[in-house]
Amino acid sequence: MATAFGNLVMAIRGIGSNWLRTLLTMLGVLIGVASVIVLLAIGTGSSQSIEKSIESLGSNTLTVFSGSSSGSTTGTKIRNSTLNTASVTALSNSFNDPDVKSVSPVVTTSVTATYNGASYSTSVIGSTASYLSAENYTVSAGRSISRADVAERAPVIDIGTSVASALFATGADPLGKQIQLGSSEFTVVGLLASKGSSGLSNQDAVAIAPYTAVQDQLTGESASFSELLVQGKSSATLSLAESEVESTLASLNDTTVANLPFTVIDSASLLSTATSSSQTFTALLGWVAAVSLLVGAIGVMNIMLVTVTERTREIGIRKAIGARRRVILTQFLIESTVISFLGGIFGVLAGILVSHFKIDGVTPVLASYSIPLALGVAISVGIVAGFYPAHRAASLRPIDALRYE
Amino acid sequence: MIIRDEVDAPDDEVIGSRAAEPIIALKGIVKSYAMGGVEVLAIRGISLIVERGEFVAIMGTSGSGKSTLMNIVGCLDVPTSGHYRLDGVNIRHLDDVALSRIRNKKIGFVFQGFNLIPRMSAIHNVELPMAYSGVKPAERRKRAVVALEMVGLGDRLSHFSSELSGGQQQRVAIARAMCTNPSLILADEPTGNLDSRSSAELMSLFTSLHDQGRTIVMITHEPDIAAYASRVVVLRDGEIVSNRPQDASNAVSYELAPSGRYSFGGSGDEG
Ligand SMILES: Nc1ncnc2c1ncn2[C@@H]1O[C@H](COP(=O)(O)OP(=O)(O)OP(=O)(O)O)[C@@H](O)[C@H]1O
Ligand SMILES: [Mg+2]
Repeated sequence: MATAFGNLVMAIRGIGSNWLRTLLTMLGVLIGVASVIVLLAIGTGSSQSIEKSIESLGSNTLTVFSGSSSGSTTGTKIRNSTLNTASVTALSNSFNDPDVKSVSPVVTTSVTATYNGASYSTSVIGSTASYLSAENYTVSAGRSISRADVAERAPVIDIGTSVASALFATGADPLGKQIQLGSSEFTVVGLLASKGSSGLSNQDAVAIAPYTAVQDQLTGESASFSELLVQGKSSATLSLAESEVESTLASLNDTTVANLPFTVIDSASLLSTATSSSQTFTALLGWVAAVSLLVGAIGVMNIMLVTVTERTREIGIRKAIGARRRVILTQFLIESTVISFLGGIFGVLAGILVSHFKIDGVTPVLASYSIPLALGVAISVGIVAGFYPAHRAASLRPIDALRYE
Repeated sequence: MIIRDEVDAPDDEVIGSRAAEPIIALKGIVKSYAMGGVEVLAIRGISLIVERGEFVAIMGTSGSGKSTLMNIVGCLDVPTSGHYRLDGVNIRHLDDVALSRIRNKKIGFVFQGFNLIPRMSAIHNVELPMAYSGVKPAERRKRAVVALEMVGLGDRLSHFSSELSGGQQQRVAIARAMCTNPSLILADEPTGNLDSRSSAELMSLFTSLHDQGRTIVMITHEPDIAAYASRVVVLRDGEIVSNRPQDASNAVSYELAPSGRYSFGGSGDEG
C-alpha cells in the first residue's frame, strides 16, 4: 500500500495542482491570524501607553480646584473662595504644611502659536518653575522658566517638542527666537524633553510660561488661578499633605474642612481611576479580538469547506480507480494541515510586521499569547474544516461522489 | 474448487481469481431510485453471465439503464436487490477496503465523460491507480509512459487534461484503465465523443486488449462499434430484450495499422 511518503507526495501534488485556489485559502488563514495578532497588539500598546502617560503625570501631587465637591457651602460665611497668591503663600508655609514640597499656581489657556508663517494651536500653562518638576517635565535644551521671570513678568516660554517641530524647521534652533502667541510675543528660553504621547493626550503639545506673563498677555489680569498644583515630599506622606492643605485652606477662608469651597484630588486616585478604565478598554479590545478570531475562523472554515466540497468529483474519480477511504482522508488531512500551517505562519509574520507600524497614533505592542492563540485556532479550524467535507465525500459511494455537482 | 459464501472473504480470496466461475455473474439485479416519493426502476431484474475473455457490447435506448448496470458491475454503485458475483466473489458484503482493491486491481473503467483529474498532467493521471496499488514510483512512471505511448500520446505526457482534445483525453483514460493490468475493462460509451477515425483507432485498441485475453464490456449506441464485440446485449426499460453472440469478424474494417501494433504486455516491457 502507499507509503506515508507517497501520501505526502500525492498531497503536495494536490496542493500544487491549483496554485490560485491554494494561495487564496492560505490568504484567508493569513488574514485571520494577522488581524488577531495586530488587534491584540494595538490593545496592549494603547493600554500600556495610557498607563505610562498617567505615571508621567507625577505620582505624588495634589491638585486643588475651586469649587466644592460636597456642594454644601451655602450659608457659610465665605470671605475668599478663590485660589490666589494668598493661598499659595499660606500653603508654602513649611510650619503649617511640613509635608508639602512645592506649590505651583496654574493658569491655562489655548492659543495659536505662530512663527515665520508656521502655526500650531497649543495649550499654554502659566505657572512657576516648580510646576515643571512636579509634572515630571525636564528641560532638554536652554533653561526652565525661573523665579525671576515670574517676578519680572517676563514673556519667556519653554516649549514642548510637538510645538517646536511644528513651528521650526528641522535643524533650526528655537532658543532665543520670538514666537507669536495670539497678539503677544514670547521668547523661547527652553525646550522640554519629550514625555511621549498617550492615547489620552499629547503631552508634548504644551508650552509653559510664567503665570504673571500669561495673565498680562493672554488671559488678562485676574487675582485668581484655575488650580494649584501641590507637590508632596513623598508618596508615603501624600495623605498627610492632603489634610494639611485642606486645613490650611479652611482656616484661610474662615470655614471648616467639611465646608471647604475647594476640591483636592491626589494623583494616586487619578491613577487608579485611569488604570481601571484602561483595563476596561483592554478587556473590550479582547472581546473585539475574540470576535475577529471567530470571524477569521469562520472564513477559514468557509474557504476550506468550499474548496474541498468542490473536489467531491475528484474524490469520486480517485475512489473509482481504487483509492481507499483512508488514503483519500490522509491526503486531504495533509493538504489542509499544510495550507493552514503555511497560512498561519505567514499570518504571524504579517501580524508581527504590521505591529511595527504606528496605527492611529498607537504604537502596537505584541502580546506574546496572541501568536499561539491565533495560530492554534486557525490551524485547528483549518484542519477540521478541510477534513470534514473530505470525510463526507470519501464516505459516499463512488458513483454519488462522481455525480456530485 | 469449493465455492463458499463469500461474506467473510479475506483479501487474498477477494483478489484471487477462480477460473471455474464466470467473471461477471448477475442474478435478478434491481436498481431503483426514490425520486420525490415516486420509485423509479432503472433496472428491473437483470440476470447476465459474462465469461472470461468475452467482448460484450451493451446497447439500448437512452435511459434504458445501461450506465446504471455498468456502475453496478464496476462496483461504483450497489444494486437495490439481486446477487452479483465478480470473479467468483460475492461483492454484497465487502467493505470499503476490499471494494477499493477490486476497483483498483480487477477493473479498468473508461467513463463516458473521461473523468480525468483536472489540473493534473496526463502521466500523473495514468500513474494514480498504480500509486494506489503501491507500485514503486520508478516502475510506475515506466509503465505509465509505455501505456501512453501505446495509445499514441507519447508526446503529450505532461499536458493537463484541459490541454488535450476529447479523443486524447479518452485515450489517457484508457491508458489509465489498462496500466494496472485489470482482467475486466468496462467502457461507458468510449467513442461517444469521438469522430469515426478516432473511434476506429480506439476500437482496434480494445480489440488488441481483447486478443490478449482481457474481458471487455462496452456500452455503445453505434451498431458499427458494437460489431467489434463477440456478443451484443440490448436493454430496454431496465430489462434485457436481446442477448445474442455474433461473429466479430463482420466488424467494419477501417484503414488502420494492424491491431498487433497495440500490445500491452504486463509490467513495464518497452512498447
Ligand atoms: N441518480 C439517479 N437518480 C434518479 N434516477 C436516476 C439516477 N441515475 C439514473 N436514473 C434513472 O435511471 C434510468 C436509467 O439511467 P441510465 O443513466 O442508466 O441510462 P442510460 O441507458 O445510460 O442512458 P444513456 O444512453 O442516455 O446514457 C433513467 O431513467 C434515469 O433517469
Ligand atoms: Mg449512460
